[in-house]
Amino acid sequence: MPRATLRIPAFGLFLTLLAGACASRPPLPVPPPKAAVPRDTVVLLPDKAGTTGVVIVSASGAEQRLSRPMEATRVASGGTPGVPFLMDEPAVRALAGGAMDALPEPPARFLLYFSKGTADLTPESEAVLRDATGAIKARDAVDVSVVGHSDTLGDKAYNDRLSMKRAQAIAARLAAGGVPASILEITSHGKENPLVPTADQVAEPKNRRVEVTVR
Amino acid sequence: MRRFLMVGVATLFFFTMTHPATAAETIGVVRKTAGAVQVVRDGKAVPAAVGMKLLVADTIETGSGGSVGIILRDDSLVSLGADSSLALGKFQYAPAEGKLGLVARLSRGTLEYISGLIGKLAPESVRIDTPVSSIGIRGTHLIVKSESAGG
Repeated sequence: MPRATLRIPAFGLFLTLLAGACASRPPLPVPPPKAAVPRDTVVLLPDKAGTTGVVIVSASGAEQRLSRPMEATRVASGGTPGVPFLMDEPAVRALAGGAMDALPEPPARFLLYFSKGTADLTPESEAVLRDATGAIKARDAVDVSVVGHSDTLGDKAYNDRLSMKRAQAIAARLAAGGVPASILEITSHGKENPLVPTADQVAEPKNRRVEVTVR
Repeated sequence: MRRFLMVGVATLFFFTMTHPATAAETIGVVRKTAGAVQVVRDGKAVPAAVGMKLLVADTIETGSGGSVGIILRDDSLVSLGADSSLALGKFQYAPAEGKLGLVARLSRGTLEYISGLIGKLAPESVRIDTPVSSIGIRGTHLIVKSESAGG
């Protein structure tokens, strides 16, 4: 048997040469190459904002850097990442259409503001709370973060309590508006995570807030 | 410093005590599914449903014709096409403590990823590994397809 397996390639080579010598037919369409070994294709896409980040693909001790929209590289198992090339949209869809169709909508975010030292919404924020409740229902949200914050006036313990009270007040309003409690996650950051950075002991209306993220 | 004051602190404590090897903190949620999708947790596979909460160390798998969309707690968007497997090996999202990182392993299939706040705050800390390569993501949007031999 070893002799036969050696002969087949030689015979095949002979036929190929013969065909090449005799035929002037147009070449047959080349099917997309099947991966002979495991391989990766990595494609950098533009962000929603129109900017493009950077991706660094490493394998076998070598790197390729992708930084232009639709730039791609391929790498086979045991090899190094190939020279980047540009992929067009149909090719990206052919590569990853299933994943692209499953990508979720980005979360919607709402900022609700409070009167100083209280868990009472400002009048303007009442309308935003209605918008948030509407958005949760419209997209049939499955996960809603309600995160309370305070400004830096007062000590840490006071602001931890106050920011938690704010988050709980908003969660209660959302629940009263028909949002299932099971999808609400209530947390608070006290004065540690200001929207507008200030010195300590500064009253800042924009930091007295609850952030509602609708996923 | 205590970053998160959980309302369900008692529940969290209970989980931490009974499952010391697993973190009980939710790191994301299943937003979309089509076809066969399952989550492997502690060696057990359960069908994934929309709204299912994901934990660190979960592996999300799709069958042929399956797909799944996930939103992580830092608002990263992740989706998988058919015949894919993604393990969420590391997810740290505690900006005030400087603990930020996302490392996932795509053992097969197709992934789309749009980075969230971890990618914005600590771009060096986001990585996707495959059996073939390691992909560092500097705050952006990408597609990875990891094909096995013959596919």
